[in-house]
Amino acid sequence: MSQFALEVKGLTKSFGDKVVLDNLSFTANVNDFSVICGKPGNGKSVLVRTIMGLETIDSGQLIVRGKDVANASPGDRNIGYVPQSFALYPHYSVQENIEYPLVLAKAADNVRKESVERVAELLRIKDLLGKKPEQLSGGQKQRVAIARGLAKATDVYVLDDPLVGLDFKLRERLIDDLRKTQEELKVSFVYMTSDPLEALSLAKTVMILAEGQIVQQDLLDVVYDKPSSIASMNSIGFPEANILTAELDAGTIKTILGSIKVKTDKNPQKVVAGIRPEGLVIGKNANSVNAKVSLMENLGSEFAVYFNVNNTNLVTVVSRTDTEALSKLQAKTVDISIKPEAVVLFDAQTGNRIGEGVSHV
Amino acid sequence: MYDIRLTGVTKRFEAFTAVNDINFTIPKSSVTVLLGPSGCGKTTLMRMIAGLESPTEGRIFFDDHDVTDVPTRRRNIGMVFQYPVIYRGTSVRRNLELPLLSEKLSKAEIEKRVDEVAEILDLTSVLKRQVEELDNGTRQKIAVGREVARQPKIILFDEPITNIDLTSKLELKRSMKELFGRLQQTIVYVTHDQTEAMTLADQIALMQDGVITQSDSPKEIYEKPTSQFAGWFLGNPGMNFVPPEFISVSGNKVSSPLFSQVIDMGTRAKDADTYGVRAEGIQVSLTETKGGVPAKVTRKSIGAGGQYLLDLAFGSLLAKARVSHEIGKAASGMVYTTIASENITFFDKSGTAI
Repeated sequence: MSQFALEVKGLTKSFGDKVVLDNLSFTANVNDFSVICGKPGNGKSVLVRTIMGLETIDSGQLIVRGKDVANASPGDRNIGYVPQSFALYPHYSVQENIEYPLVLAKAADNVRKESVERVAELLRIKDLLGKKPEQLSGGQKQRVAIARGLAKATDVYVLDDPLVGLDFKLRERLIDDLRKTQEELKVSFVYMTSDPLEALSLAKTVMILAEGQIVQQDLLDVVYDKPSSIASMNSIGFPEANILTAELDAGTIKTILGSIKVKTDKNPQKVVAGIRPEGLVIGKNANSVNAKVSLMENLGSEFAVYFNVNNTNLVTVVSRTDTEALSKLQAKTVDISIKPEAVVLFDAQTGNRIGEGVSHV
Repeated sequence: MYDIRLTGVTKRFEAFTAVNDINFTIPKSSVTVLLGPSGCGKTTLMRMIAGLESPTEGRIFFDDHDVTDVPTRRRNIGMVFQYPVIYRGTSVRRNLELPLLSEKLSKAEIEKRVDEVAEILDLTSVLKRQVEELDNGTRQKIAVGREVARQPKIILFDEPITNIDLTSKLELKRSMKELFGRLQQTIVYVTHDQTEAMTLADQIALMQDGVITQSDSPKEIYEKPTSQFAGWFLGNPGMNFVPPEFISVSGNKVSSPLFSQVIDMGTRAKDADTYGVRAEGIQVSLTETKGGVPAKVTRKSIGAGGQYLLDLAFGSLLAKARVSHEIGKAASGMVYTTIASENITFFDKSGTAI
């Protein structure tokens, strides 16, 4: 059997002249927690619908455990589904709601009972099994919906942004529970989200969806440290990375935050420097630039500090224990500079990564 | 400006007590955020301050005036809701000045107020635009600006950012913060979002089950939670809690397998039931250190600013540690942890910090 739970090859889908999925390919490993992350409007919903068989495709293959299901009906694909917005059956108990997909599949009584108990236990809703949906809170309903999506054993589960709209603390708990559930059940998850922090919290493997294509697929820390394109750097990370336009001349880029020597074997004129928030530092030095502080967002353990330099918005992160930086931030403006080694260099035209920062000039 | 005094304020809906005997003063000319999970009573409390709901018991005072029976329109308050209230078919300027027209103000005064609030909220460039042309975030700014321009003594905000899309949220937070810094009004702001609360508040009133469990500055409430609930609710992730079986008390001394030092707690030691430590309060070393307690890395994820969150197993006990990108990337198998005494908060059986 294939090592891939799901293999998507050259998937293309257009609506009229508009190409929504453009020769899209990725692989999701068996027993992996794969997260597909992309900003809204990049084809996420259409991708989910084509995988589930709710939308026909123009061309391409959808291979589930080695078998092409692109032409199979939704019920024959053996793909589990946790939708973004769910409708529980109001007249059924929680138990009956979770069990329903197994009833449809004509599973034996003992299989049904065991499956429901197992997912209910993992998602911590065992004591709710006798209740009706109307007796549940929003967070509990979401847990029931997830349990229903996972109750039936399938080759791969597609989870379509199931935490969207939930309270902060509910999400925090569910993120832990979802990771645990995936590990304990030893199942394959393909999880869709547009929330970069959620992707960072959940993923083992991450795939970046941009303009109808998967532009990068790798382990989470690889994508974070070595984004292959601007879209990739933009889609993952919190706060969002700093993107500075720059000019490349003789191995040096000129940005609004000074000049940086770079290593690249390409030579486009227009380049873009991508710098994660932690790649900007506060404090005066030979290369620092004075920046106006526009907002300090208090994240608890740290502050996301936003700046404005020449109408470009920038952000860095300062720990709540970094008293030196915090005292400097009492002023309206503060000196900031780039850590050269934090610079990722992209070709402005193609958006592709072409090198990295080395040192200050 | 008014301060808002609540004495014995209770609200019951049939058998359900939404707000339970609250005695609290919201200080004038400052920003107080009512923070808590859904169902904690924060919105009901705000609606009673607004006069949209009357308390089952208790009185509400604005300074020394008892307003409990005063209707909303005579309370001199402004209100901003979850969904922006705008007047369609008119310009932004018209939206901002409409409530001012019914007051006896000179044309020059109206223009001055509108220009001022537009400047603070960064709406100057869109004053002539029709409101329909603008996105939801900008519409919410207009709704905020209109209430501010009226200059009521109190302005109430009911989750004004919750339903705004991710990209506009940041800009709204920025302009609210700017605005709150310039206003003299008493601001009461309801949200379930801790980041919003910590960013905007002078003081946070944390609510749970109809009562205010702690009110403090954002820094205090994060660093010195008075209850397990506060320790858990603030922070992403919330505090780690270590259960009683990992604590031993001998006289005034408390020790635990998770840290090597012995903490002298004086006479309070006997009440120590659990303790909490924040993810960043656990120091992690990749190599064996003196006093370092071994823990197994079971999972890793990345958090804000590239820091790693490590799920650590101390035997059967799981805890999360926040570490630098470099350490997090390299961490696997066993790591060695220390917890400084000042990063430990002890709680008694009822969950109250001691």
